[in-house]
Amino acid sequence: MRLIFTTLMILVFAAIGEQFCPWWIIAIVSFIFGFMTDLKRGHAFVAGFLGIGIFWLILALWHDIPNEHILSQKMAFLFHLPNYALFILVTVLLGGLVGGLSALSGIMLRKVL
Amino acid sequence: MRLIAAIFVVVITLGFVYLLAGPVGTVPALGPLLDPVNGCWANAEPVNKDFTQAIKIPSIQNPVAVWFDERLVPHVKAANDHDLYFVQGYIHAYFRLWQMDMETRAAAGRICEVIGDKAMKFDRTQRRKGMVYAAENSLKAAEAEPSTKLMLDAYTAGINEFISRLTYKDLPIEYKLMGFKPEAWNNIKSTLLLKYMADDLTGYTEDIPLTILRDALSPQDFNFLFPEKISGSTPVIPAGTVFDKPSLSKPPVPNDSVWAHFKASDYAVKRTEGTGSNNWALSGARTQSGAAILCNDPHLGLNLPSLWYEIQLQAPGINVYGVSLPGAPGVVIGFNDSISWGFTNNYRDVKDFYLVKPVEGKANEYWFSGKELNYTDRVERIAIKGKADFIDTVHYTIQGPVMYDEHFYGPGDLKAPLAMCWMAHRATNELLSLYELNRAKNYPGFVNAILNFQCPAQNMAYADRAGNIAIWGQGQFVNKWNEQGRFVMNGADSSALWKELIPMRENPHILNPARGFVSSANQSVTDSSYPYYYNGYFYEFRAWRINQVLKGLQHATIPDMFKLQNDTYSVLAANTLPIMLKYLSPADMNAEGKKIFEELKKWDYNLSAESIAATAYQLWWGKLYNDIWRDDFQNIPVTLWPSDERTMQIMQTDTGSKFFNNWNTTIIEHLSDMVLLSYAEALDSLVKLEGNNRAEWYKAKNTTITHLAKLAPFSYPGLKIGGWGNTVNAAKGDHGPSWRMVVQMGKEIEAYGVYPGGQSGNPGSKYYADFLQNWVEGKYYQLQFFPDLDRKSYIKTRYVWNIETK
Repeated sequence: MRLIFTTLMILVFAAIGEQFCPWWIIAIVSFIFGFMTDLKRGHAFVAGFLGIGIFWLILALWHDIPNEHILSQKMAFLFHLPNYALFILVTVLLGGLVGGLSALSGIMLRKVL
Repeated sequence: MRLIAAIFVVVITLGFVYLLAGPVGTVPALGPLLDPVNGCWANAEPVNKDFTQAIKIPSIQNPVAVWFDERLVPHVKAANDHDLYFVQGYIHAYFRLWQMDMETRAAAGRICEVIGDKAMKFDRTQRRKGMVYAAENSLKAAEAEPSTKLMLDAYTAGINEFISRLTYKDLPIEYKLMGFKPEAWNNIKSTLLLKYMADDLTGYTEDIPLTILRDALSPQDFNFLFPEKISGSTPVIPAGTVFDKPSLSKPPVPNDSVWAHFKASDYAVKRTEGTGSNNWALSGARTQSGAAILCNDPHLGLNLPSLWYEIQLQAPGINVYGVSLPGAPGVVIGFNDSISWGFTNNYRDVKDFYLVKPVEGKANEYWFSGKELNYTDRVERIAIKGKADFIDTVHYTIQGPVMYDEHFYGPGDLKAPLAMCWMAHRATNELLSLYELNRAKNYPGFVNAILNFQCPAQNMAYADRAGNIAIWGQGQFVNKWNEQGRFVMNGADSSALWKELIPMRENPHILNPARGFVSSANQSVTDSSYPYYYNGYFYEFRAWRINQVLKGLQHATIPDMFKLQNDTYSVLAANTLPIMLKYLSPADMNAEGKKIFEELKKWDYNLSAESIAATAYQLWWGKLYNDIWRDDFQNIPVTLWPSDERTMQIMQTDTGSKFFNNWNTTIIEHLSDMVLLSYAEALDSLVKLEGNNRAEWYKAKNTTITHLAKLAPFSYPGLKIGGWGNTVNAAKGDHGPSWRMVVQMGKEIEAYGVYPGGQSGNPGSKYYADFLQNWVEGKYYQLQFFPDLDRKSYIKTRYVWNIETK
């Protein structure tokens, strides 16, 4: 339950933050919620990963579906990927990793302070 | 332990974020790029995006309305010139900002600033050519003229208004990939863009290689192989036209010391074979409708985002439709409610080289007319991404910039200092010409407008609603002595300088010729009765074909014009293949040889997309040409060998010519030997192509529209289109018809057009390349020209921008 709550909080605050700040705000948001939560370390990583990953997935699809994959297909080729779905996956994994690592940093730092 | 682990994770996290925040090698900064809020995903334009919007711009004077039709062509209605060009700038930037930025950077030699020092050679070449010097000169002329000053100022303000509203999220995707940001526009960028076009169209010169050839060949052979005018030319101004009495007399030819000689034997210059354009106009007497028809298809480098942007501009005193250059105000090629016009390049030579004679022991002086003169120096500072600036000091002589010297070798490592004199360096104001052309009401208005068009020289075709047609070989030319500027000249000799200018009203022209049509396709401009001297780089094949077809058309229709613009008939093949086939004896050939022989016999000389015979002929001709000239020009680059036109004529008139002999053998060869040898070679190549499934002509030549940053996923290769540089539909590998236009100037103007691209510069937009397939197939769009933009236009269009002052 706390895991879902933290995930959602990261998702919502990252979404708000990105309206005003560059992309790296997702790391700061994930770090702060990782720092404040009392989840296990592994769960904190999952919360950060899912929070940002799901947020980025929703937004990528929100852009990509009305665009009928025109751009994502071209970007996939640019990155030597066979199709647009993999380009979406790369985007989501990248965001997720940043979120997960940041949340993990937050909780690990809190536990030693 | 836990502390170390925590520090470790924090460091890894910070490192990861830091790594993503900046570019690594050629990989762009992935964090900002992939971020779905602001990154590349924000450039994924919904296919059903509603472009309708209300915009507030306090710096315009009156409200402006912009209607976009279903192809996203804007139809702008403004209350005054200022607002009109302001909004044109805003629109150009909205759809094409990155392209405008890159093209003007390329013109100015500022590519290193954004991609690093791999563009150093390119940037230095641009600087040493004097591109910025030329643009500064033209800017002075444009800003001294109130109408063009207003035009430029308003256009610049419009672009900057758009740029000022941009956040990272809104930037064109190429900025995000390349990691730089747009800078403020200024007027010189627009003049730079016009010089970029002038360089593209008049930058080509054969002075240096011709000098080498002249010194390498006997005068008889040189004149035989490289005649100044090809016989049988059908010039732009029909042969037999009587020219007005010239106001200037041709200067006397100075003595031989006026020429320069040098030894560099391997100067390589890229010969742009078959690059050019077509335009023609038919008088009402030759059309079915009785109205004059004007057609134009300028052939230029094919890129995405497209060079051209379609637009209709309407304000009091102006109602014009056509293609504009993103980066410059006004319409370049098109029509208004009274007249229509089209351009092809006029290859008269307006760029000459001079061998500079430095004063020994004095680094800053050179000899001129027995005196020691000081160079004028121009310091070119080239900014380089990630490195310190590079400073290049360019000497200017009385003739112009010293483009090549021991610090910057010419191609082929030519070290001799060569100064360049180029019409594009002069303070010309082509914008004024476009300003007036866009507003011209009749033939005198047209003539008055084009008198300001000095460089690049163009063949300008004209048709109006009153039924007049005309063509001008227009540009600013110098009254030259015979052969002046054909070869490199002695820079120390004052008689080699450019002196008087030919009054532009005396440029070759014709109004309503008896034959009922005018045409140009980069061929010679006049017959030899023209009273002034000129040389140039002319091509005849397309002109031969166009004039042949137009002569046969008595009741021309618009579809006839479409057909001619897409014609792939090779005059070269029609004239040479029968001669070549005559020497083959199929009985002695293998199966493949016989098969191709039969296909070639049946072939209709059309370089159509799927034809294998076309590929076979093109290969065969290439091999034959090579076999004929290889031994005669052993140390001369292939680009300087005699033209296809001349080769064809020698084959037709003298099959025993000494040039068919191979000097490297002991026997005497005849044309037949060259034909047999080259056929075997061509078969070899064809079999290889067939093995790779690339024998169809379109696959063999691979016409490709390349993104300006050469990004393959944003480019379109292998287009299924026929033609070649020497056919009317001149679709080559990377050059071709950049804008096909047909305008019937009747009571109602009926206009069609297509270009290989789309109105949006955004690779993520469905409007990025949506015209491409129709261009490939030779299909056209009917252009929506509104005589008066009003509420009715709204019904026929799709989106509207209401631009308010507050």
